[in-house]
Amino acid sequence: MDDNYYSIDSILAENQKIQCTFKVEIPDMGHLDGGSERDIKPLSKMQIPLWMAYILIFSDYTEFSIPAPFNARVRNALNAEARSVRLSSLVGQGGSWYGFGKLIVRLLDDAPADEMSEVLTKTFRDRLLEVIDQAQHFATLGSGGGSASGDTAQTFREGLESVERELFVLAQESTKRTKRWYETTDKSVK
Amino acid sequence: MALSVSLRSSVTPPELELVASEQLIEIIPLISMDKTAFISGAYGPLRPPAKCKLPIWMATNLKLKKKCHIVPPAWLNVDFLQDRLTRETSQPEFCAMPFRFAEIAKIILDVASDDVENPDKIRSLLKDLREARQAKSREGITKLDHSELSLPNLCSMEINEIRPFFIRSMGVLTQLTRDPAAAGDA
Repeated sequence: MDDNYYSIDSILAENQKIQCTFKVEIPDMGHLDGGSERDIKPLSKMQIPLWMAYILIFSDYTEFSIPAPFNARVRNALNAEARSVRLSSLVGQGGSWYGFGKLIVRLLDDAPADEMSEVLTKTFRDRLLEVIDQAQHFATLGSGGGSASGDTAQTFREGLESVERELFVLAQESTKRTKRWYETTDKSVK
Repeated sequence: MALSVSLRSSVTPPELELVASEQLIEIIPLISMDKTAFISGAYGPLRPPAKCKLPIWMATNLKLKKKCHIVPPAWLNVDFLQDRLTRETSQPEFCAMPFRFAEIAKIILDVASDDVENPDKIRSLLKDLREARQAKSREGITKLDHSELSLPNLCSMEINEIRPFFIRSMGVLTQLTRDPAAAGDA
């Protein structure tokens, strides 16, 4: 999710599409949306991946709207209870909601960008504690242990997006290691 | 060299145990030994029953061969730990503990529990202490900020446990937090 050119997370996040409305006519590029049009007419809407949309928007060839994973309905749900929103269903399994959001922030002007960035940070913070709690809980169960905590926990886990999954794994690993160390006794003469 | 992701940002507990074993501890030797040079320094001479200070790795080695008795450090007794536990549960901050108390306590309790008075009570006090501190560090997560987080008096094993995901979370927050100075950046 960095701005590093080589960052795989960044590349994957940029691959997601946003809705753009073209302002000018562009000859011979109608194949971009898979349609049969030869040219792109002004005011036609198309789904363009972010890496391309970025240039088009800054060169003022198109306008764009806030994509579905960040619309008002999602924001209200996050405001109410961040932990009950399934972020992975918004961007697909393995997708990056936070990465996508960050790239949108770069496209917006100051006021909506600050608001968007607020939404992102607040959501992250609210969900973080739950992620860590579940990771530590799972470090203690054996592999394949049944979930005694019930459906809400499982739904939450399925709704984690890629960044949160990574954190989950990190927390689980380190807790598992420390726990294992506390429990072993090595009395052999080394 | 390709380390697994979780190992890239932290140290393993056995490694911490090794580092902690460099510290000196007092022993009552049962054998005699002249002053001997080791890589980390010269130790001895061992003249029973006089006490002598040795690094923990050497003390545990002798103990396992039944050649010494280990004198537990001043903080490894029921009263001290009980007092710390009450402080821990009554104050919101972490109380001061020797930096590597978890590792040293574990080594001594494993190898020399007969030299420590009331080892079971000490084990349970240490466990309670650990849980109380873990609960506090859990609250620290909620106050996570992208620029700094101060958790004074946290000890070596605890830091190691939380390091990987704390750092990653702070990294993510840095990415997400919009810097006002970068406003209007093309």
